[in-house]
Amino acid sequence: MSTPDEAVPPPAEVMIIASPINLILLSLFVILVYFQLRPKAPVSLPKGPPPVIFRTFTPTTLLPNNGTEDQPVYLAVRGRVFDVTPGRNFYGPGGPYENFAGRDASRGLACQSFDEEMLTKDLKGPLDDLKNLDDEQLENLQSWEERFSEKYLVVGKLVAEADFEA
Amino acid sequence: MDSNPSVVAKLDALVAELLAGWNLYTTLIAGGIVAFLVFSFVTSKDTDIHPFLLARQSTAFPVRQPGESAPYRSLETPHGFPLRSGLNVKDPGAPRWTSGRKGDLRDIWKAAVRGSVEEDGRVSGKQGKIYTVLGRKAIEHPLDQITQEINVIGNRLQSAKVNTVAICLTDSVELLAAIFAGAFYGIKTILIPHNLDAEALSALLKTSGAEALIGEAGALDLSLVAKGNEQLSQVIWVAKLGSRHMDWNDVPDDVKGTLEVRVWHELVEEKKDLAGLEVPSWDPSSPTSSVTTVWSSKSSAGEFVEYQPANLASGIAGLLYSLPRTQRYNPGDVVLSIDSLSRSYPLCHVMAALFSNASVALNSVAGESVDFALATVGVSPTVIVSSSRTMSEYHSQFMKPHSGPVSKLARWIQVRSLDSGYMPSHGFLNQVANAGPTAELSLDKLRLLCISHRVDADPEIQLDSEQLADLRILTGARVVYALTGPGVAGAVSQTNVFDYRRFQGPSHFGAPLSSVEVVLKGVSDGAEHEEGEIAVSGPSVISGKTTLAGRIRIRDDNTFELRH
Repeated sequence: MSTPDEAVPPPAEVMIIASPINLILLSLFVILVYFQLRPKAPVSLPKGPPPVIFRTFTPTTLLPNNGTEDQPVYLAVRGRVFDVTPGRNFYGPGGPYENFAGRDASRGLACQSFDEEMLTKDLKGPLDDLKNLDDEQLENLQSWEERFSEKYLVVGKLVAEADFEA
Repeated sequence: MDSNPSVVAKLDALVAELLAGWNLYTTLIAGGIVAFLVFSFVTSKDTDIHPFLLARQSTAFPVRQPGESAPYRSLETPHGFPLRSGLNVKDPGAPRWTSGRKGDLRDIWKAAVRGSVEEDGRVSGKQGKIYTVLGRKAIEHPLDQITQEINVIGNRLQSAKVNTVAICLTDSVELLAAIFAGAFYGIKTILIPHNLDAEALSALLKTSGAEALIGEAGALDLSLVAKGNEQLSQVIWVAKLGSRHMDWNDVPDDVKGTLEVRVWHELVEEKKDLAGLEVPSWDPSSPTSSVTTVWSSKSSAGEFVEYQPANLASGIAGLLYSLPRTQRYNPGDVVLSIDSLSRSYPLCHVMAALFSNASVALNSVAGESVDFALATVGVSPTVIVSSSRTMSEYHSQFMKPHSGPVSKLARWIQVRSLDSGYMPSHGFLNQVANAGPTAELSLDKLRLLCISHRVDADPEIQLDSEQLADLRILTGARVVYALTGPGVAGAVSQTNVFDYRRFQGPSHFGAPLSSVEVVLKGVSDGAEHEEGEIAVSGPSVISGKTTLAGRIRIRDDNTFELRH
């Protein structure tokens, strides 16, 4: 004789949609669809460094930019100030041209000399007018200047203390 | 070590228990997942352009002047290299390795008549066509016949010792011929918008000092126009096809004797045997004449903007090369301008099309504000040049109200493909999306829509990203959106043709063309985004440099956003 209990089909025979595996797969499906359809933000690149502001230097204000204490390395050629920081090994502290860092390098470059006496001593005085250079030296200077213009950025101009306004 | 086996065993039991629940539903769901993965893999496409190229669209120079922004340039012409200054015309017989000439309008017509050139430099001689669209009809004009008209009109003006000719015509083949006649015969041309009243026209003629006027027969009152314009000695009427039987040679009594009036088609008929079908030859080093357009603003009827030939050549080249190689004009294109040729952006586009041996379609109703649907019937263009106002009006009047739920759903799907960086294909969905909003258009072949916005235009008509996306979906064409200003031939900046990204608010204007460099003036230091007045310099700018009456802001992706 069967008891009423046996008449009930065993629960395993019933197809239920809410079984754990179905729920897991369904949520996987939903997540996949969401990732496929969600609005994608356009790609953005990190912002570059802000541009350097073109400045007017005097020999005194140029001097600190000589590569010491994380300062950039600037040098001036005929009134134009070049940022030679990428060539720090040459123009920065310890480099062969370190005397030029933060200074007016026109005469030194023209004479192919790294000596101290090539630099203008009096920072408050007028700029070196380069009057007593011969043609060969001027040509030398010209080629250096072209080289610098190709490789480095002009970040300012150099004027004498007396001509400096504002 | 002891507990490990039991953890594994527990996991095993858990998985077994999970899998024991496998039934028909599970199979269905798993099948669904697999089908979805396969579907998204199969339908996924490469983006049209690398996303990084859209993430930074122009380059800023690393040094800036105080109070100004850094100079911005197109990626095509990096800092330290010359800006694009001309069309790079290579004369036949010139050594292969020499760089080409800048070129001018004469080279453009010569290139159009010469026909297309194959990749290897062979001339295949397939000429583009020039159509004028009249209502539903398109009339084709042989290029030889236009060359003839150029010669006749040029000769006529030259023999009358005319230095400056004012052209006041609707967009037509005569307008094109008159511009080229000016270029070939050394006569300054002034393009005056055709819808001005007689007084304004008279005032413009006076300031320009034009000795000749080419105008539409019957559209102008000659005695009014001639009043106060003693320098005016020649008038050439262009009679419409339907009114050629009338005698237009009649001169009002009060200007009889001072004015000589002729009719275009009669002149051409009379002199065509003398003039010949050959393009006049010229010395490439000889200068050609300038083209002046009128920039009308709210405050005045218009100021003259005189473009030197070099400005135009540079502006045309800038627009031409702003499109990547696959999107550039080619001999198979039909370029329809529905914006007036008396404005520099459409003019430069049409010239660029002629230079690339594409076909050109001109519409006499063309202007800043036209009915887009009406203006595009009669011809099936691949490229349309239009104004921001026309497109904005069309969008608000037709596209928006006529889209029902079905086309909204299709739009939603297509916007998804735009957002993932590629154009939705011309297919079934496209048809569904278009069903309501663009039913009346005949734009099956359209591939590019060039829209220009004037820097001083009403901010209301500036298109936003959603409108541009709508235009892309509903017309099936890519869109470029350009910012134009007085004194800059072509445009200042233009969006990338593959830039489908959507942002809040009005659309940006992309990166500067390769023919200009843009600096912002009056920039306050320390602001997160540089914003200031637009100073444009470069070979396409008259006298090299100009400041426009508008402010822009540099966005994070180095594109320009117009501020109001």
